[in-house]
Amino acid sequence: MDRSLARRLEAHLGSYIKGDVYQRNDETEIRIAPGSVPDVLRTLHDGVEMRFELLVDLAGVDTGEVMQVVYHLWSDATSDWLRVIADGIPRDNPRVPSATFLWPGAEWLEREAYDMFGIVFEGNRDLRRIFMPADYTSFPLRKDFFLPDDAARSPGAGVRHVERPYAPAVVADDPAAGIRRSPAS
Amino acid sequence: MHTRPRATGSPRPRTMPAGPTGPQPSLDDPRVMLDRQIGSDLFDPIPPYPTRTERESEFYTLGEGEMFLNLGPHHPATHGVLRLVLKLSGEKVVDVDPVLGYLHRGVEKICENSDYYHVIDQVDPLEYVSSLYQEWAAVLAFEKLMDVQVPRRAEYIRVLSAELLRVASHTLFMGFMALDLGGLTPILYGFIERDEIVEMLAALTGARMLFNYYRIGGVNGDLNHEFLSRLGDWMSRAAAQTEANATLLNENEIFVRRSRGVGVLTRNTALRLGVTGGNLRATGIPFDVRRTHPYSIYPELDFNVPTRNEGDALARYLIRIDEVRESIRIIDQCLTNMPDGPIMAKLPRLLRPRPGRAFGAVEGPRGLLGVYAISDGSDQPFRFRIHDPSFVNLQAVTHLLPGNLMADTMAIVSSLDPVMGGIDK
Repeated sequence: MDRSLARRLEAHLGSYIKGDVYQRNDETEIRIAPGSVPDVLRTLHDGVEMRFELLVDLAGVDTGEVMQVVYHLWSDATSDWLRVIADGIPRDNPRVPSATFLWPGAEWLEREAYDMFGIVFEGNRDLRRIFMPADYTSFPLRKDFFLPDDAARSPGAGVRHVERPYAPAVVADDPAAGIRRSPAS
Repeated sequence: MHTRPRATGSPRPRTMPAGPTGPQPSLDDPRVMLDRQIGSDLFDPIPPYPTRTERESEFYTLGEGEMFLNLGPHHPATHGVLRLVLKLSGEKVVDVDPVLGYLHRGVEKICENSDYYHVIDQVDPLEYVSSLYQEWAAVLAFEKLMDVQVPRRAEYIRVLSAELLRVASHTLFMGFMALDLGGLTPILYGFIERDEIVEMLAALTGARMLFNYYRIGGVNGDLNHEFLSRLGDWMSRAAAQTEANATLLNENEIFVRRSRGVGVLTRNTALRLGVTGGNLRATGIPFDVRRTHPYSIYPELDFNVPTRNEGDALARYLIRIDEVRESIRIIDQCLTNMPDGPIMAKLPRLLRPRPGRAFGAVEGPRGLLGVYAISDGSDQPFRFRIHDPSFVNLQAVTHLLPGNLMADTMAIVSSLDPVMGGIDK
């Protein structure tokens, strides 16, 4: 575990970090507010003892209550790895400043996060869907998007598939919500 | 200068026809395509909907003397189903808009809905020429989540099989790059080499391409006689064969002149684009996850991280030959030092890691392959994010193609070595 990285982070970014610098195994992690993303990333990228110049990954996360954007960074100078979590993005209107001003390569990663989670990256000049068709309206990786064969919501929830004899599922429709679970008659 | 040409003069309406269920049928509904009159507009590069972003409307606006050209989605040089909409001015590429998603299967969603053991076979078909690396990234992230100690023999077997696959992937790349530039012979030699390795791995794992071999805490089966005898047979001539294959192209004047100085990626651009793997090392940055974020037994092994400074298509090709040489060295060391012992850690049948987060990154043949896994304490990963190197590497074409000749598009795209299965996930 690399305590020197944690000390450097606290010295340079102490006012931005929510909670403590979290370290487990060989991973270091900080949490920030979504509004401070440009400042924090700029400091991490240009800071003298930082130089996190490679954006290794940008991932959207839906925790069910809030959205997160997770940046994994690598420093060319010190060979450190860092995870930055922009936490607490509201689910009904997820907006985060874009990282494309530092890394043009974040453009497609942000497009993917937008496509899958609906997170709007302000400042990304090409924020359109990348995998799904243009007229698609859902955000598939959100936690309220269920797969049609989601085992956890099926009548056999809690029972291992292999141990359950086959019986056709009978589930009530929900016309109010426009959900038809049974086959069309 | 005119906006969205052919939008007004077309005899057919530009909007999609109304379907039976609603006013706006989905574009991926097959009935829509059947209802449409199949004509030249089926292959129209201009999308049949209003532009969505500033960049998109800028791209789909033609200047004086410019035209659009669809490259793909079914084109042999796109390494899968990729569509590149090229904006051409004469022979010169002015701009490019890659269209992805033809192969999108929602692997991340499927993985979040399957338990930890099932994830391993869901990630196999991503980069189908090097499946073991996705498995490795996934099990690495899960092992970090669960603090599993992998037996040393299992780690050696993992390194051995993965480096074999790296050799197979790189020899295939060298052949395909030559094929895209018009040379047929190297791909035949590439497939001979790859077939030997794949048959060898089939003896070890039971499958030729989608291995499903790594397990959380070890590997699925121990080394067997057939694998070792095939491996020994191959190792006795691997180094010489690599050199022989390399001379097919390295001294070929047409190949060298078509790839030298083409698609130059500078050190700074590569870092800012997030390019990794051989494409980044060809610009002079010795970034290799096996050294910068060591995993498995790589710290004990003796190998170099080859770099080159040119950053052009030829350097990206040559660096892969260097990597094949290093991989053969690693395989040799694995065979010499292979320890005895178990190949699986003791784990419960049903895995429920404690809530937490882990990022597992491995150095795949195309670059950093990462998996970010979040556990919420259940038997399914709460979030399973796959970072595919080809996805980021392919993004570089939007910076590399403009200004080049149309004919160099092939050299540039194939020198980045994209695999669409991984890009589209």
